[in-house]
Amino acid sequence: MILDHGAPIYEDLFGISWLDFNLSNVMMVLVTSLIVFIIAVIGSRKLQRKPSGFQNFMEWIVDFVRGMVSSTMDWKTGKQFLPLGLTLLFYIFIGNLLGIMFMVVYDGDLWWKSPTADPSITLTLAVMVVALTHYYGVKVKGGGGYLKDYFQPVPLLFPLKIIEEFANTLTLGMRLYGNIFAGEVLLTLLVGLMASGFFGFIGGIVPTLAWQGFKLFIGAIQAFIFVMLTMVYMSHKVNSDH
Amino acid sequence: MTGAVAAAIAVGLAALGAGIGNGLIVSRTVEGISRQPELRGALQTTMFIGVALVEAVPIIAVVIAFMVM
Repeated sequence: MILDHGAPIYEDLFGISWLDFNLSNVMMVLVTSLIVFIIAVIGSRKLQRKPSGFQNFMEWIVDFVRGMVSSTMDWKTGKQFLPLGLTLLFYIFIGNLLGIMFMVVYDGDLWWKSPTADPSITLTLAVMVVALTHYYGVKVKGGGGYLKDYFQPVPLLFPLKIIEEFANTLTLGMRLYGNIFAGEVLLTLLVGLMASGFFGFIGGIVPTLAWQGFKLFIGAIQAFIFVMLTMVYMSHKVNSDH
Repeated sequence: MTGAVAAAIAVGLAALGAGIGNGLIVSRTVEGISRQPELRGALQTTMFIGVALVEAVPIIAVVIAFMVM
């Protein structure tokens, strides 16, 4: 019913049997990265002592991420994660926004959507974040301190800590995917109702508008939560005072 | 058909549980903010983390529902 449009999957690149690409994902990741790049360049060009216009906005965002980082760890170790948080926040927020305006289905394939409405992209982000927490855990505390963390406060918790790592990765990615994908499914249903006829159009226009507004809110909240949880997981690995 | 009913029950119960949990979290946060308005920022951050952790449960239920459908 809802999932009757497929994905434009390009199979067997270079004749390798397991190497498939979802071309829609590739395109949407490119579009999102391009928009984020343009915003970042415009926001940081011609920096002035007295900020005006777009620079104000950029500084507000940086301050916002800085507040998130410093609420989970001390600023001395936390300042190296400011670019990470800023990049994730921009990327996920812009990605969530892209699916709100419209969706393009061409030839039975869904081309234009949120890149974050695909589990492979969100889980890739989550795996990247968790791998980075391990890397910085080793870098900041050293190999011994990093391994000792698995047996604190009592060695009995070691299996739970291993499970926690996998559960963290899975829920971090699936939360973002579930929220954005569910939003797009409902949006598709509402648009289908609006296209069904005159009365459907009249009845569906207000819920569609309301849901688009709510999806904007969800997109912002999910981007915030993703970055916040990234910092929380990072602080678990990096902070030594428990 | 039975698979669809099972999926609907799974999603519905998960939504019920998550709704109760989120309601408890938000109501306690509102209580805390009304007692100490100066802690609003910190309380809100903690609330959002808690809500996010609760949200993971219905999403896992949705995945399971798709599996049984």
